[in-house]
Amino acid sequence: MKEHASTQAGTAVHKPFFLWRHLNKLRWVVLSLVFSMLVLLPMLHLYQTYVAAHAYDLLAPSEKRLYDAMELLTSPFVSDPEKQLDAVKGTTWSGTLFGLKLSDPLAVVGQMAAGLTIYWPFLVTALIPIGFTVVFGRFFCGWICPATFLYELNSNIAGWLHWAGFRIGGRRFDKRIKYGVLALGVVVSAATGSIAFAAIYPPAIIGREIYYAVALSGFGAGAAFFAGTLLFDLLVARRGFCRYLCPGGALYSLLGRYRLVRIRRIVESCNDCAKCNVVCEFGLDPLRDGFGQECNNCTACIAVCPTDAMTFVLRPTDVPPQGPGHLGRQYRRAMEKAAGEAAGRERDRGARAAGDGESTSRPEREEAA
Amino acid sequence: MATAGERAKGRGAGGNGGQQSPSAHRPPRSGVGDEVGHAGHPLYRRGLLKSGISALVLFLAAGMPYAIARFLAPAASRPAPRHNAKVSPRPRNRMRPPGALADDAAFIAACIGCGLCGEVCPPRAIVFHAREGGGAVNTPYIDPEARACTLCGKCMPVCPTEALTVVPREKIDMGLAQIDRTACYPWVDRGICGACVSVCPLGERAIGFKQWNQYKPLVRKGCVGCGLCVEVCPHPSKPIWIVDRSEGSVAKHSI
Ligand code: SF4
Ligand code: SF4
Ligand code: SF4
Ligand code: SF4
Repeated sequence: MKEHASTQAGTAVHKPFFLWRHLNKLRWVVLSLVFSMLVLLPMLHLYQTYVAAHAYDLLAPSEKRLYDAMELLTSPFVSDPEKQLDAVKGTTWSGTLFGLKLSDPLAVVGQMAAGLTIYWPFLVTALIPIGFTVVFGRFFCGWICPATFLYELNSNIAGWLHWAGFRIGGRRFDKRIKYGVLALGVVVSAATGSIAFAAIYPPAIIGREIYYAVALSGFGAGAAFFAGTLLFDLLVARRGFCRYLCPGGALYSLLGRYRLVRIRRIVESCNDCAKCNVVCEFGLDPLRDGFGQECNNCTACIAVCPTDAMTFVLRPTDVPPQGPGHLGRQYRRAMEKAAGEAAGRERDRGARAAGDGESTSRPEREEAA
Repeated sequence: MATAGERAKGRGAGGNGGQQSPSAHRPPRSGVGDEVGHAGHPLYRRGLLKSGISALVLFLAAGMPYAIARFLAPAASRPAPRHNAKVSPRPRNRMRPPGALADDAAFIAACIGCGLCGEVCPPRAIVFHAREGGGAVNTPYIDPEARACTLCGKCMPVCPTEALTVVPREKIDMGLAQIDRTACYPWVDRGICGACVSVCPLGERAIGFKQWNQYKPLVRKGCVGCGLCVEVCPHPSKPIWIVDRSEGSVAKHSI
């Protein structure tokens, strides 16, 4: 692949395709679209129920406003809202998109566990998401999940607090906890015969809570649970629920372990600034090539990199750690030292001198201070 | 140890504390830059993955006996279907959406709580159970006193699982309407009403008036339990309600 362009001589450093650093903006557009659809769809449903009732005059003023707004919004596209607006329904947990039924793989896992049977028509609805996850890894977390939209805003607040001097949200736990949650959820679903994931899985919660709040009014326990995860992320661990607890994230991490599309650091143009590590919502280590199965290809690290040192590659595993970036200080020191040593050796060999104690062997850690 | 890089982007929410400044790189030892740092990140060592997988397997194995027992158990020892239950299997006026699996335990296992059925329901009759918790969390039900089903049939095809299966209108079985003849206005000769009969979408097959005695309503076999009669009943104590088909009775004689 092009990415493996050899740059020993420092001539042809690979540059990522220029659009990739704009993918992060596209991602925000997608996230906002998904979220606003979740708000819009219940409103459209209300509109449909008003249309079906054929009683505009009996509507309350606020209902009339909604009716008018939705009519304005949809009338260019649909002539029969009662039927045609059924084309897009549902949430990211399960929904229908112009006749195409899509479901969350976690819903399928939960249903199989709860019923201890496989219902094929339902399994089929998850095949497209599963296929995408196998190729793109945990892309759902970065690109679709309506919780991400709120969690990243939450992370911004945490960032401001951090900037203002509140050292909170810095705890780290074991990433494997979420696999335990996934397994526990399967066991609990099988034991109780009802799908346990729906109660603790943020995207499912958000979808139905928004529907409830808009169409039927009122929040349920799920909203409180989600608010709790927001607080947990803010106060205990940045993006902690997703990193340590979310069963969906665990499932996608497993499915996407050998994803084909992944992010890679171009060590030749990296200058060790560590912005990628700071921006990574999932607390990964792009700077040291530590992506792993948790990376959700969100491309935030591509967008933030000042030297265009992050790119996409097509390969089923991460590259092994490549060491410090070639534009960074450590690498330069190392090279200088190596050059010095080589020169020293040359000199030594030339002079055939016995005095080898003077060669540089002290550790160079003073920049850490 | 916060470097300029970390300061530059104000979003470092602390989660990436001091561990991630570039100075944590190992100083190159052999002097050849390309060979530096093959140790790998400690969080991604194989050992951890292995123990993660074994933890997963352990969890699954722990649940297996129960799952197998549940699977192999004779039908009698599984949660009883509501038709055979001795005690009242559900409160009155609590129906599953049309086309729901008859066995309520199977229904709860099949329903993923996506809310799609509620989201297409034109009268917004479908609401969700126990959003505060409990066994039937997030499964749909209909409370006809608040809003009844109009038998439009939109919810059945939209359900992604087998929780709701498409059945023809007359085969829907949400329950059976029962009338309290000691309260219903015509039955206690407090006037003529007939609201329930006039609203029923299934007509004479489901509910009709007593012969020779107009306006006294009688429920018949064809009632599917949509609950529109319950919604429309003007009596404050709602002397008509929906029960499970196994618990109700219908007028035997023909119209
Ligand atoms: S880990 Fe769970 S809540 Fe977080 S982004 Fe992924 S699916 Fe959404
Ligand atoms: S490593 Fe980069 S692409 Fe992956 S989750 Fe972190 S910021 Fe996003
Ligand atoms: S049949 Fe129609 S009115 Fe009845 S519950 Fe289903 S969607 Fe609602
Ligand atoms: S559409 Fe089906 S799976 Fe979804 S909430 Fe309704 S009954 Fe349950």
